[in-house]
Amino acid sequence: MNKKLHSVSPESGPNINLEVTPQLAQSSSAFLFEPKNIVPFETALGWQKIFQKSLIEEPFSPQAVWLLEHFSCFTIGRGSDKKNLLFEENKSPLPVFSIERGGEVTHHMPGQVVGYLALNLSLHKKDLSWYLRELEQVLIDVLYLLGIEGKRIDGLTGVWCEDKKVGSIGIGCKRWVTQHGFSLNVDCDLIGFENIVPCGLDKVKLGRLSDWIPGIKVCDVKPLLRESVKRRFKLNWRNR
Amino acid sequence: MATHDIFMPALSSTMTEGKIVEWLKKPGDKVERGESVLVVESDKADMDVESFQDGFLASIVMPAGSSAPVGETIGLIVETADEIAAAQANAPSTASQSTSQLKASSSTQVQEKEASVDSPKATEVKKEPSVPLVPDSSTSQPEFLNDGRIVASPRAKKLASQMGVNLANVRGSGPHGRIQAEDVQSAKGQPISVPWIAESNAPANIVSDILPRVEKKSVDSDKPPAAGKSFGSRGETIAFNTLQQAVNRNMEESLNTPCFRVGYSILTDELDSFYKQVKPNGVTMTALLVKAVGLTLARHPQVNAAFSSEGIAYPSQINVAVAVAMEDGGLITPVLQNADETSLADLSLQWADLVRRARNKQLEPQEYSSGTFTLSNLGMFGVDRFDAILPPGTGAILAVGASLPKVVASKDGSISIKKQMQVNLTADHRVIYGADGALFLKDLSYLIEKNPHSLSS
Repeated sequence: MNKKLHSVSPESGPNINLEVTPQLAQSSSAFLFEPKNIVPFETALGWQKIFQKSLIEEPFSPQAVWLLEHFSCFTIGRGSDKKNLLFEENKSPLPVFSIERGGEVTHHMPGQVVGYLALNLSLHKKDLSWYLRELEQVLIDVLYLLGIEGKRIDGLTGVWCEDKKVGSIGIGCKRWVTQHGFSLNVDCDLIGFENIVPCGLDKVKLGRLSDWIPGIKVCDVKPLLRESVKRRFKLNWRNR
Repeated sequence: MATHDIFMPALSSTMTEGKIVEWLKKPGDKVERGESVLVVESDKADMDVESFQDGFLASIVMPAGSSAPVGETIGLIVETADEIAAAQANAPSTASQSTSQLKASSSTQVQEKEASVDSPKATEVKKEPSVPLVPDSSTSQPEFLNDGRIVASPRAKKLASQMGVNLANVRGSGPHGRIQAEDVQSAKGQPISVPWIAESNAPANIVSDILPRVEKKSVDSDKPPAAGKSFGSRGETIAFNTLQQAVNRNMEESLNTPCFRVGYSILTDELDSFYKQVKPNGVTMTALLVKAVGLTLARHPQVNAAFSSEGIAYPSQINVAVAVAMEDGGLITPVLQNADETSLADLSLQWADLVRRARNKQLEPQEYSSGTFTLSNLGMFGVDRFDAILPPGTGAILAVGASLPKVVASKDGSISIKKQMQVNLTADHRVIYGADGALFLKDLSYLIEKNPHSLSS
């Protein structure tokens, strides 16, 4: 049996206007949290842990999605190469968090939307490559609505506009329950990235949406992300 | 004595090999079933790999930083500390072999890699420890012949050799009758489906605790639930059996009773953690619930009372009956006598004995008809609430639903998840009034939420 015949390839940009009814049989529900204030990194980490633990113990317990902004910090994955921090670890200009996700060091700061998803992939598709490609598609769909062409680069994870990376992805998974997710640079200050080798990619250039759409704010992007996540993972928001 | 392999899991359908990011356990460390043992990375995704076995990490076959093909053995788990040394002695050869295989093989030849996993050399290493496991007398497995040729997945073959299952007797559920790992487990008698009999140790944990945890695939919670059963075929009418007739009479009689219902939501996090403490002593969730009800009934004698033609009858004992569905139809309510005064351990033992004898139809009438209060639990099916029909001769029955996580938001804006179980009391209004039922439930809820430790006294 050729598995590829049955696999679903991520839909491409133009299809996104097809409204998917959320009440499809394979839809599942999730809480959506959009804190108004900037959230300390460790606080959001704690929130995710609560939901991930609960989903591991009880596969049908609530899933959750957060869209938020963090104070400036760096985060590194468990497999990250510390060489990509261009400073001595104890002399960091910003807080550094070691977290349970894949990928190399990255940087969060106000003006960047971070999306965290605690989903039980057993209810969706138990395939981490599929999940990473779907997260990319969430961002590509949003960029399309904003009139920007987002693209993937073969062999790498993330979303690029022209030659600049605007969206980063890193996830952790336990018993097919996810944590972490994506970040999208909206109108943030990119200077902090100079202290690291983002994603471990030597020559990567970072970009932000305001380079293409002057004046765009996080609050303009959040509603698009909310709908894009909902559509892509066929979620019903439980708390609205 | 048995050695269990930890395999490189498939994190996606296209993944051919994975990188070991970190071992969370050291050789010699104790591991619990479901505990994360290592982290595997593919692309930008990390996956915690769990042990599917209580035991000890005997050996790390593939060290952190190395990559291994999907399905390759990357570590060994043994059941007792004494086996660590033996497993470690066997391990290095496996390690060097695996690494050399890894270096030699090109990344595209997935088939060959998978095949290499069950090369004779690889299985030889494991054969020795697995031999003592062979006796599979415990299960009455049907003889099934795969007309001579055995088609099995690499993992199924591996499991079979570990578990001492003869693949010739295993029915394959995969394409063209291919034997899958799950088939081997079911042949060995490890439960892979939810037992339907309506008696369980857990008010919740529908899927996660009943299904075995296979370390790489985790629980297939997207599998369709087991089909409902039927006593007859389409178009047939089947006579009621004696037990069904008895149930019918009792249920019809209840129509002459003016019943009302009252419900309550009880947080069970404390109860669950207490259960974890006492479970090693053989205490079951049924015993905990019965004891909690028994102790609360002792403080609310009205709810233990029943209607009689002479007036309200107050029994001399608190006897909690628990409904059990019978496989061939009907249900029976074995009784735990003096539930308020009997210890948790005794209640657990008595209950196991009652259920065993109920299934063999060996219960004395006294053992299923002396209940003064009935408990009916459908929580193990994930039912969130239901209401029960009052058995004649008693005043009340409590219907217990699953303990399910609910999001609780506190005033400071923080959120947490607490487990909540809905219970629903059906009572004879001639004896028990609304306020009696409500106070009973309030007290029961207080006991379970705040004071589960008192159940052991």
